[in-house]
Amino acid sequence: MLAPLLALALAAIDPCAPVEALSPDAAAAQAYRSVADAELAAGARDSAAAAYREALARDPADEASRSALARLCVARGEDPFQDGLRKLDAEDLAGAARAFEAAYAADGSAPAALLGGIARFELGDDAAAERLLRAAERAPAHREEARFYLGLLALRAGDGTRAASLLEGAAVNPSLASPALDLARLARRDGRLVLSFLAESGWDSNVNLGPGGPQGVAPESDGTASLSASALWRPQGARGPYLRAGGLWHELARLDAYDLGGIEAAAGWQLRGGNRGAAAEYEYAHRALGGEDYLGAHRLLASGWLRRGRAVATGSYAVRFESYAGNWSPFSGVLQRAEARVALDATPRLRLGVAYAGARDAADEPVLSFWEHGPRAEARVLLGRARLGIDLGLTFRAYDAFDVALGDRRRDTYLDGAAFLEVELADRWSARAGVVGRHALSSVGALSYDQLAPSVAIGYTLGL
Amino acid sequence: MTGGVALQAAALAVLVAAGATEGGAEPHLLAGAAHFRAERYDAALVEFRVAERLGEPEAAGYAGAALVKLERFEEAVETFETASPGGHPLHDYYRALACYGARLYSCADRLLAGLGDRSGPRIAEQARAIRAELAPTLEAPPSETSLAWYRDRCEARRAEGRAALAAAYCREADALAARRGAATRAAGSDGAGPPRNGG
Repeated sequence: MLAPLLALALAAIDPCAPVEALSPDAAAAQAYRSVADAELAAGARDSAAAAYREALARDPADEASRSALARLCVARGEDPFQDGLRKLDAEDLAGAARAFEAAYAADGSAPAALLGGIARFELGDDAAAERLLRAAERAPAHREEARFYLGLLALRAGDGTRAASLLEGAAVNPSLASPALDLARLARRDGRLVLSFLAESGWDSNVNLGPGGPQGVAPESDGTASLSASALWRPQGARGPYLRAGGLWHELARLDAYDLGGIEAAAGWQLRGGNRGAAAEYEYAHRALGGEDYLGAHRLLASGWLRRGRAVATGSYAVRFESYAGNWSPFSGVLQRAEARVALDATPRLRLGVAYAGARDAADEPVLSFWEHGPRAEARVLLGRARLGIDLGLTFRAYDAFDVALGDRRRDTYLDGAAFLEVELADRWSARAGVVGRHALSSVGALSYDQLAPSVAIGYTLGL
Repeated sequence: MTGGVALQAAALAVLVAAGATEGGAEPHLLAGAAHFRAERYDAALVEFRVAERLGEPEAAGYAGAALVKLERFEEAVETFETASPGGHPLHDYYRALACYGARLYSCADRLLAGLGDRSGPRIAEQARAIRAELAPTLEAPPSETSLAWYRDRCEARRAEGRAALAAAYCREADALAARRGAATRAAGSDGAGPPRNGG
């Protein structure tokens, strides 16, 4: 959207430079002046300046061209719109926003209001962005572009209904239709209160993580069914405080001892400004396994992200204070995990990401404490209303101490893979089919295993 | 597209040079071609416009190409609409780009389809790429809002006194309406109507 304006700024012809005289040619000078007047009337100052210069070069007595050039020269030096374009090109967003605001204040220019609004949006100054975009919206030529960004502002503010309405309004413009309608569909699932439900069914090839073979426990497979629900309340939208709560139930058809239930609640705060953001969260989670108390955990999470062009860098750190119940209590302790991730929008429909994570689990029982680290790669492909995802990860884990019971100081390597296809069925309904798998290698043969778990799911998300 | 600029501009220069004579409009066409080749599209436009005013009918098409390069697509569409039909594939190519930039997708597709093998391998390849990009939009049944958008544009440009441009938008709206009608008929006959067996 900015490309044409930037191209004009970069190719600017200097109306203030001295004009060198050529052989007099009154007819040509007249034609140049006529072209210049037409270009100026069309708002094309650079080509107008070029034509006036040619007219003056062939007819030094042409006072009309001389005066027009002088006006263009003065206007160029004082033109905050051109100044804004230059600053935008130099990636000085704050300077560009100020210049466009000055241009809008001077003559009510709708393009200046639009570009100023976009610059303010990028800077995270939502109130100023809304004021300018509302002004741009009044100009029919920029109405849809302004509504597109107003829709993004509403989405950021957590007002999904208003965002969807604005984005649908922007979709009237055919060149904005595709992204605007996609975002409108997402907006209907967004809001200050977001409720989500997911029902899933699948099969797990190795519920008990048995290694098989002559010396190991035989893997036991089983069918699975899960239900989960969550609620997210963000009174100020995507920025500011939020509360989150959720619950899940994961039931196995035969192996009831592995049925898992859980609830969790979290409170957090998100900061967003321009191309960066950060969040901090506290969460309490409780889990039951086989119908019995299993785990209670308090987690603190901090994360931040920074966007540069088509790339986003993300960093996160979490510490979880885990308290396992009953026979599981030796696993209790403190788990810390940090991850750095970079994602790149390789094309509008393909996002690629790589990450590296490290974790430290300091369990009460030293033989259960470990360090682990490893890389992860992911790809996401948009296929119309469907999204295909592929994840691959490699993790190296080393335990702290020699385990007398195992006769070894355990070292594991995990190769994880996942693939899924998500399809948008309707505004709030989506379906998902996927498979996750793990190939675990351990220095203790009895702890190596393979696991494959395909599943299908249907989800409903409501934004209010 | 940048890679094709020199090639296109060189072809333009050859075309102009072939008919160049001293004085009149031709020197301005040549100067315009030189500016175009050097990617000084503002200056090229000025020279082509001067040549037009000095009586060179071919100049309007070249001015249209310069307007495309300046991304002044609506003016380019207007210019091509009023230009004498040159029949040169480069003109048709730039005219298609003008239509594409002005969101006149049916117009762009029609012109690109008509280029065939006349344009040389490079432009033919670019034309194929643009047509492939347009195909999903042109194959989908147009929405009421899209149709209304083109009709509104037509009315707005007519009210501004830009009749040629208004006509281009109206033609696009008509093409969309025809596609919408065809899609509706196809959907309606999908098992709902009686079998057409000639009997």
